[in-house]
Amino acid sequence: MAADITSPVAMRARKKRRDDNGSLTVGRSRAGTIVANTVGIVFGVLMLFPVYWVLNTAFKPADEVLALEPGFWPSNPTFDNFISAFKAPLFLQDMLNGVVITLFAVAGALVVGFLGALAIARFSFYGRKAIILVVLVVQLVPFLALLIPLFLMLQNVNLGFTTLNLTDSLIGVSITYLVLILPYTVWTLRGFISGIPRELDEAAMIDGCTRAQVFWRIILPLTGPGLVATSVYGFIQAWNEFIIINTLNSPDKQNLMAWLLQNQTTRGTAWGPLMAGAIITSIPVVIFFLIIQRNIATGLTAGAVKG
Amino acid sequence: MRHGKYPFIIGFLVVPVALYAIFVVWAYIQAFYLSVYEWSGLGPVTNFVGLGNFQKMIHDTLFWQSIKHNAFLLILLPLITVILALVFAFLLNVGGGHKGGVTRGVWGSKVYRVIFFFPQLLALAIVAVIFGRVFGPDKSGMINGLFPESWQPWLFLADERYAMACILVVLVWQAVGFYVVLFSAGMGNIPQEVYEAAAIDGATRVTLFFRITIPLLWNTVQVAFVYLGIAAFDAFALVNIMTVDRGGPDGATSVLSLMIYRNAFEFSQAGYASALGVVLFFVTLSFAWVTLSATRRESVEA
Repeated sequence: MAADITSPVAMRARKKRRDDNGSLTVGRSRAGTIVANTVGIVFGVLMLFPVYWVLNTAFKPADEVLALEPGFWPSNPTFDNFISAFKAPLFLQDMLNGVVITLFAVAGALVVGFLGALAIARFSFYGRKAIILVVLVVQLVPFLALLIPLFLMLQNVNLGFTTLNLTDSLIGVSITYLVLILPYTVWTLRGFISGIPRELDEAAMIDGCTRAQVFWRIILPLTGPGLVATSVYGFIQAWNEFIIINTLNSPDKQNLMAWLLQNQTTRGTAWGPLMAGAIITSIPVVIFFLIIQRNIATGLTAGAVKG
Repeated sequence: MRHGKYPFIIGFLVVPVALYAIFVVWAYIQAFYLSVYEWSGLGPVTNFVGLGNFQKMIHDTLFWQSIKHNAFLLILLPLITVILALVFAFLLNVGGGHKGGVTRGVWGSKVYRVIFFFPQLLALAIVAVIFGRVFGPDKSGMINGLFPESWQPWLFLADERYAMACILVVLVWQAVGFYVVLFSAGMGNIPQEVYEAAAIDGATRVTLFFRITIPLLWNTVQVAFVYLGIAAFDAFALVNIMTVDRGGPDGATSVLSLMIYRNAFEFSQAGYASALGVVLFFVTLSFAWVTLSATRRESVEA
């Protein structure tokens, strides 16, 4: 890689030089900075309040949850709600289902989507525009419009030698979720791959790489942040989906979202366990997000080609 | 680089194209086929009615109400969300001023980045429950509870005039964080030198925003519009869980997707539901066409 003028090291060196001349502040007013920060804080509170309320409710004992005067802090914090969520029928089963379905769908969509995106971003061929158009169109139309045909298709999968019924199975839902997150995966990765300069491919090929090696050793590593970003989005989509799974599968083959929804309607005012269940359900997504959130914003190719 | 590309193209595309062909193209063919039948959803499909389902639709007032509500979301959701997300992404990345050669975000911008993403992490089922409390139509509601005793409580979701606006607020609340992160990522890829140069030339925050950030981010903004359009059509989940009488009061929050679902899986009107699905298909296609041609504009290379 060529020298990177935007690298942190270079920035630090330049900053230091400036500071030696007496810190150079350019352009904007202090008042503007205060306004910007105030707006940020207000907005942050609005964003966070409902999340805080979920936490608050989940740690309250049952009598406090239903108290007319809402307390802003649980006076006797308890884990009872979490325990009763875990003990609730089908909770663990549906959690496991969700893990299996989501992992399959995200991994599958990444592999299939990366290859598809490569073909679209790096080759020109007859029908390329048509494929891009179909990808766009598909992701635009709400999946709900396809729920009836999907149900009919999965009910009667003809493999030639035998027919299968994939409704009320984890396989059917997994494949459906894969298809659901595939358009986004292809579209986003296409953008990331297009952002990698073709000069890199050419340079590698002049140095003796085959085309396959270019994809494997140049493009795949440079698409890293893109793969991370798309897998996060795919994960959230698949993990949080409940309409399709609710329609196709019976409660013992559903995921935690469908479980929550079911328990919201059947249990009425048992807010504590429900909110505890909501927190448990959100934990994988939160952890996943916290691990990768630093990488989301990192572009690897900046400065790979001079000028 | 011309020889031997077709094995790669075919190898790379065979799986995604096959999946699309089966799950999307073939599914749509079936949906179109079912739309000209009167069919309960069970048993053989025999009762051909031609365009009967579509005629029924034209005289269905709920259908026209639903279209109106979808249009309301389709226009306002992307617009409000993109504007808010752009402003806050800008604040996070550049809003803190420019000191000592480094352009900075507001204080604690790393914390905000996490906070803004939180709503996206909550399941819609939970979001719906929480906002049910926020929009409570009596004193126990979070918003109404803020006002003094003499206050005549707002009915929110139970008031036909404001029910749709409540749905819109929740959708924006949930979506905006993701786009803040998305735009932040895009802004992170804009070289510091560009901002630095502009700031030295005396550009204010507002100028930086409109003359540098927006043009360099235009591709991402376009994608955001498309995705929020989908979210507007997918309001199904929220409407289904949150609203009075599911789509009420009196159809005031009904959307097209809710009609499809209820006709297919509750009213045993799978034929009519398929016809509604066909309409949804063409409506979204028109939206795609309009969005892509309206936002087509030469983006600037960073």
